[in-house]
Amino acid sequence: MKRALKSLIFIVILGSLFWILCNLLWLRPTSISFFYDEPKNSLDVVYIGSSNAYVHFNTTLAYQEYGFTTGMLSNDSQPFIATKYLLKEAAKYQKPSLYIIDIMRVVDNLNIVDEGGLRKTIDSMKFSQNRIDLINEVFQYTDAEEDYPNFYFSFLNYHNSWKNITVANFIKVNHLYKGYYFLSKSAEIDPQTKYPWNSEEVKELAPENEKVLKDLIKYIKDNDLEVLFVIPERVYKDGGIYYNQVISIIEENDLKVLNFANLPDFQIDFAHDLYNPSHLNVYGATKYTLYLSRYLKENYDLKSHFGDELYSSWSEEYNRFKKDFKTITGKKFDDVLTECKEAI
Amino acid sequence: MLLTSFSFWLFLAITLIIYFIVPKKMQWVILLISSLVFLFYDNFHLSTVLQALFILLITYIGSQKIYEYQGTKKSKVYLLLSTLTILGLLVYLKYSNLFLVIFNHFCNLVHINHHFGMVYHNTLVGISYFSLIMISYLLDIYHGAHKPQKNIFKLALFMSYFPILTTGPFIRYENVNDELYDKHKFNYHNLCMGLLRIAWGLFKVLVISQRIAIFVDGVYGNYMQFNGFYIVLAAMFFVIQLYTNFSGSIDIIMGVSEIMGITLPENFQAPFFSKTITEFWRRWHITLGTFLKDYIFYPLMKSDFMQGLNRKAQKFLSKKQAKKIPLYFSMLIMWILIGIWHGGAFTYIIGSGLLQFIFIFLEDILTPVSQKINKRLGINTETFGYKLYQVIRTFMLFSFAMIFFRANSLKEAFGIIQNIFVWNPWILLDNTSLYLVGLDMLDFRVLIIALIVLFGVDYLSLKMNVREKLFAQNIVFRWTVIYLLLFAIIIFGCYGEGFNPATFIYRQF
Repeated sequence: MKRALKSLIFIVILGSLFWILCNLLWLRPTSISFFYDEPKNSLDVVYIGSSNAYVHFNTTLAYQEYGFTTGMLSNDSQPFIATKYLLKEAAKYQKPSLYIIDIMRVVDNLNIVDEGGLRKTIDSMKFSQNRIDLINEVFQYTDAEEDYPNFYFSFLNYHNSWKNITVANFIKVNHLYKGYYFLSKSAEIDPQTKYPWNSEEVKELAPENEKVLKDLIKYIKDNDLEVLFVIPERVYKDGGIYYNQVISIIEENDLKVLNFANLPDFQIDFAHDLYNPSHLNVYGATKYTLYLSRYLKENYDLKSHFGDELYSSWSEEYNRFKKDFKTITGKKFDDVLTECKEAI
Repeated sequence: MLLTSFSFWLFLAITLIIYFIVPKKMQWVILLISSLVFLFYDNFHLSTVLQALFILLITYIGSQKIYEYQGTKKSKVYLLLSTLTILGLLVYLKYSNLFLVIFNHFCNLVHINHHFGMVYHNTLVGISYFSLIMISYLLDIYHGAHKPQKNIFKLALFMSYFPILTTGPFIRYENVNDELYDKHKFNYHNLCMGLLRIAWGLFKVLVISQRIAIFVDGVYGNYMQFNGFYIVLAAMFFVIQLYTNFSGSIDIIMGVSEIMGITLPENFQAPFFSKTITEFWRRWHITLGTFLKDYIFYPLMKSDFMQGLNRKAQKFLSKKQAKKIPLYFSMLIMWILIGIWHGGAFTYIIGSGLLQFIFIFLEDILTPVSQKINKRLGINTETFGYKLYQVIRTFMLFSFAMIFFRANSLKEAFGIIQNIFVWNPWILLDNTSLYLVGLDMLDFRVLIIALIVLFGVDYLSLKMNVREKLFAQNIVFRWTVIYLLLFAIIIFGCYGEGFNPATFIYRQF
């Protein structure tokens, strides 16, 4: 008995030290990891997607304009296959009125694992059966099995980062702008790269991509979730032809799709509002956020938390964003906001 | 199944749980089933199954017959038949290419335009080990050391006991048969000691061997670009890599066995503290040395041929000198066999065979000379400084020989040795040059600290049982040391993303 107790204490200390070490060696500076920091049941909307999500939608601005809170479950190159599992993950901690799902990456080839995007997504998730299920499903579609254990135990990847350990590893990273990440630079992009939505051409999704999409829809229907699918503004010519089928599948299931690439009343300036061909900069993101948050307020029953002390951090983060915007661009964000409101 | 792989640890955990849950009389059956799973895990094929069955059946039938006709000529006939059959299969599977290379060279010499391509056989993991273990089993029965095992399944367990299949050590039936088939209660102390030994083995393999391998591979893989102290350092590092890799995997194997209550013979005893090559080989791969001494060297020395040689030599030499002729001749044969055992390539025959023989031979004949010189010059050989010189000299000689062992061909080995003769000691001091071969400054710091710990523990092991001593300490000190060891492995171990899975150098032999 004494030995069993001693062994138990030894293992508990070992586990605790290991847990501290894991957190020390890997900061998890992602929107998903910040998501866990939000108080339970404090989010009205959960936004799931790849970099489009956290670069395009300014959660602090949406709060400032309409008073609802949005949590981000998004990473760079986040695979679409993770969406169902992130919905499950969100439901563990929050009871949002609405989920927004970016379907930009629904067409990605599932046989090829974008290791960076997949790792960031999986490693950002807390260790749970849900995370294991996601790993298992990802590897159903690919032959790349040699790193399989590394996905289950992310420490196998990060233990060697002891070389890069700095004081920053010992300090808790602030949750900047509630998951939004702003890009200030502008790039002039040729509008011709945009997919012409009036095209009749339809290209069918690969069967496995179609299955993933339909599985997601089934999960949404089975759990009676309120979901809005969005297609971001920037869609390439090559990728665009798949989305006609994607939209059909979603709409056949009585779910809504908001296609920003084909909205007559939403236009962006290709010479000013893009950071690169793939992402909106802060100006484009402001237009996108204003349009989408207004749409959400008009079409969904979202609470306003203005005046509620519990939500004061949202105003603080908005003010921090404005301050940092001024520091980086030299402009007042309020002026930009006025211009954007006039433009859309 | 690599000893550091996830699948091995899962396999081991399942085996240990079942081993201690089942009725005690069934424990050896669990060991046998686990060993068969391990044996065929990576290579389940009709040919490998037939190889194992063939060796098992030959040994089983041979042993019964040798025992039945013990003391008669028939016994010797059965011994020769069974051992030669097993050896024949081993030579065919492992050494075909050596004979083909020799034959191709011969064809070249006599200008015959014929060239045989290399052949690749699908061989069982650990076939060299268990072939020799079975031969020793047959020889021991012939010499009346023990009775043959009547239960063929128990014999199969002795042949395939899974922890030793990858890298040994060599076991002898009379030393392990009781523990292998005995009933074992779960023992907390054995568990703690076994786990600690496994952790120490993992430290050696993952923190030292795998890290140092990056430098060694970097230099040996591009030896034309490196010279002088790069080569010297790589040669020394390779010996440390080999030691930590081999002894580390043995530690894991011993630890696993210890948990199950099975004691295996020690295979290393701080070899880097040896003052001569002779002493070095008494501390390095001890079980192979004992095996070859008992089954090759002593029988050779006692053979009629060697006795005849001794008598003939006495006609030209003094009695004392004449005795040395069969001794050296037997040693030469034994060292060539050690070289062949390591893979049959000429690099192994020279590196781990002939050169070792030459060093030991020179030590033997030069020792009286050096003793005289020391006496004349008044050098005190009992000082720390002199002993340190002897230890360093032994290490350097062994490192030199291992250049052949590590090189891919004799041409490459000579190319590497040629590149040593460049004077560039500043690469050790200029703070950048060393970091060009894959290891950065932080890696070197980790390596230096790990080597200090390694040599410190090795030194202590000569004076005490380090694990028992540690377990006798108070809980705070004991747990602190264990946590430090575990976290050193977790943080500084070379595993996971960006590292090759730990390869066990001796697995191939």
